[in-house]
Amino acid sequence: MKKHSWKASPALRKIGPLIIAMAALEVMFGIFAPGFSQMNNQIDLLQQISVNAIIAFGMTFTIMIGGIDLSVGAVMALVGTAAASILASCDPSMASSVKLILAVGGGMSIAALFGLFNGIPASKTKMPAFVITLATMLVARGTAYRFNEAQPIPIPDNAATFLALGNARLFGFIPVPVLVMLAVFAFATILLHRTRFGQHIYAIGGNREAAKFTGVNIVRTQVWVYLLCAVMAGIAGMINTSQLYSAEPASGQGFELNAIAAAVVGGTSFTGGIGTMYGTLIGAVIIGILDKGLNMAGVHFSLQYIVKGLVILLAVYMDVRRNKS
Amino acid sequence: MNQNPHPGQALLTLEGITKRFGGVMALDDVSFGLHSGEIHALLGENGAGKSTLIKILAGVYFPDAGTIRIDGREARITCVSDADALGIRVIHQELSLAPNLSIAENIYLGREPVHMGFLNRGRIYREAEMLVEQLGLEEISDVGLLVSELSVAHRQLVEIARALSCRARILILDEPTSSLSEMETEALFATLNRLRSQGVGIIYISHRLEEVIRIADRITVLRDGCSIGTQDTSAVNQKELVKWIVGRDIVDYFHRPPHNPGDIALELRNLRSKDIHDVSLSIRYGEVLGLAGLVGAGRSELARAIFGVDRFDSGEILVEGNPVSITCPRDALDAGIVLIPEDRRKEGLVMMESVAFNLTLPWTKEWNPSFIPNSQKRNEMAARAVENFSIKASDVWQSVEGLSGGNQQKVLVGRWMEHPPKVLILDEPTRGVDVGAREEMFIIISRLVEAGMAVLLISSDLPEVINMSHRVAIYSDGRIIDAADADMLTPEYVMEKLTGASVHEET
Repeated sequence: MKKHSWKASPALRKIGPLIIAMAALEVMFGIFAPGFSQMNNQIDLLQQISVNAIIAFGMTFTIMIGGIDLSVGAVMALVGTAAASILASCDPSMASSVKLILAVGGGMSIAALFGLFNGIPASKTKMPAFVITLATMLVARGTAYRFNEAQPIPIPDNAATFLALGNARLFGFIPVPVLVMLAVFAFATILLHRTRFGQHIYAIGGNREAAKFTGVNIVRTQVWVYLLCAVMAGIAGMINTSQLYSAEPASGQGFELNAIAAAVVGGTSFTGGIGTMYGTLIGAVIIGILDKGLNMAGVHFSLQYIVKGLVILLAVYMDVRRNKS
Repeated sequence: MNQNPHPGQALLTLEGITKRFGGVMALDDVSFGLHSGEIHALLGENGAGKSTLIKILAGVYFPDAGTIRIDGREARITCVSDADALGIRVIHQELSLAPNLSIAENIYLGREPVHMGFLNRGRIYREAEMLVEQLGLEEISDVGLLVSELSVAHRQLVEIARALSCRARILILDEPTSSLSEMETEALFATLNRLRSQGVGIIYISHRLEEVIRIADRITVLRDGCSIGTQDTSAVNQKELVKWIVGRDIVDYFHRPPHNPGDIALELRNLRSKDIHDVSLSIRYGEVLGLAGLVGAGRSELARAIFGVDRFDSGEILVEGNPVSITCPRDALDAGIVLIPEDRRKEGLVMMESVAFNLTLPWTKEWNPSFIPNSQKRNEMAARAVENFSIKASDVWQSVEGLSGGNQQKVLVGRWMEHPPKVLILDEPTRGVDVGAREEMFIIISRLVEAGMAVLLISSDLPEVINMSHRVAIYSDGRIIDAADADMLTPEYVMEKLTGASVHEET
């Protein structure tokens, strides 16, 4: 029985090389980037990856069913802008926690709306998810620019609870975004690896027709996937806005690509049906280590892009080779 | 019947071919000969070594020992282009054409004539037309048609034309008729006979023994990696051949269950859609209703409509006399109807996932009612199916990709028997599985029917559908044109009905 539960997820075997790669990068930057290995710096690292990781968890769901969501970066910006506008228009005397609920509630409803906007056409029509979400990306971005004449909206100082979301540290030590990331990670992991919903995602991604013939409700499952992805992007948008102390309608550009990179480095296959949440988490950590480590090692930013690109290529190549054997 | 009276000289000779994969002996001292102007059938169960042998000829594998001679000269085939240069071409089961290019463009794909750097499309079409005419492939004489518009049979002809346009002298056809209708098969045989008379050597691989006996000059049988022998086709009959392939007597190949009809399980009343023209039928518990029809007669469309994959426009589906509304497969499953689709790989299994995954997929609700999957229950469920249907897998976590066609089919049927349905629809259940696995599938069907299940058996294999069913509905062009007790029918009669009717429809 023990033997079986190990074999039950070949995905587990794939995680080994990723952990080794992550450890190797840690050691390497520990040597070449002064101060990299210090605890403070490692905590900072986690804080910096949390936004990307949260988006990447949602992205993993969409890639797992053979889809994609390009709109996450724009949805992030829109959600942040909407939340900031709500905060700015609130009565200053209102309790800070009530304002948080209003802002988060408003922002997340918009995220959910965009999730449906992506998910319903993606599951009910033959339009490719790439094109649908490319279009909704433009819609979301445009909507974000509609707020405040496309100017940044500062978060009022009295919205202390909202600001805490991105900047406070539990016991003055663990950043709140990291806690949120871990909570979303736990949720996503359970969803993908321990529920019927997750099982259906593997089935749809592995063979959509077969899933249909087995009685899996493929429309409902897919709509939920896009909804989840957008909501997770919304959470990331809240944190991002809070961290910046203002909502930038132009923020979040290219975040979708970083999230895709994290998922793919973590072993999610673009053909669908293959991937894990912990893989994506480690993928996000690896990308974060590269970003921060190269920076601290004093590598010119132009080179940083090149290195990152090559690492992604290498990771995917190794993954494809492993899947083949 | 079509025996070639004047076999040509030795074209290809294999001597002592041996190939090991790790500890497994895939081919053990196999010898094989092919004359020019000969059709030589290569038979054997799945795993007997046929595909390894083909891959050696195609340059995919290199043998560990043995010699290959072509025209008496020793040849080394180390890669696919070597095989090409020697004139060896494999026409695969899965065709490898570009669907959005025309017939002519496909024939010259990869070696398009260019004129000053530009594609010489005029020449492609001219030469393709000449080639097709010369080969007598009238069916694809309109070389400007897109391949995506062609039937599988015609695509296969395009592949053959492509092979012969590069002066192939040895054609290897791997299960060429598996997705062809009887008429298309006839047309293919006419083509093969013509190619034979032009001196081409053809290695013909098929599970369909009736066909092999008709078309082949000689037959070589492989079993467990060894060649059992080569015989002139005129010297063997089908029964001997089965025994030869399987290595034992299959006494009663078909296993029709005793007919103890119960109440009506499934009834269709005047079902109509684009592809279905007023179909009414009923199946009782403990009964097999065969639906005999040619490929393309719309049999799968009927199955898909009953199962809720496709919509129908009007008519009623009744289960145990009560009308049910079926708009998606879930509704059909809830009503107690299961469809085992024709295309296992595309519509049946999640190929990259394990046997257990596929076996337990329909029952996730039971082993994972909330957020806590019950792996023990799941494992038991999988183990039960593996045992009940003797699925041969190294363990339940092996991916179904690695199973033989017969075992994949057993996974597909076995998974529904956790909670047996009222009605089981089988669409071409034995397509692409070997003789032994086919018999096993018949035994399974028989067992389920004896336990009281109602079965709709769709098949274009007429002996199969007649011998496994209690009643047979003859289906053509979306209509039931005749129905009778299976005992009253012969394959010849059904064929006459089917072809007669289709001629009638066309005129």
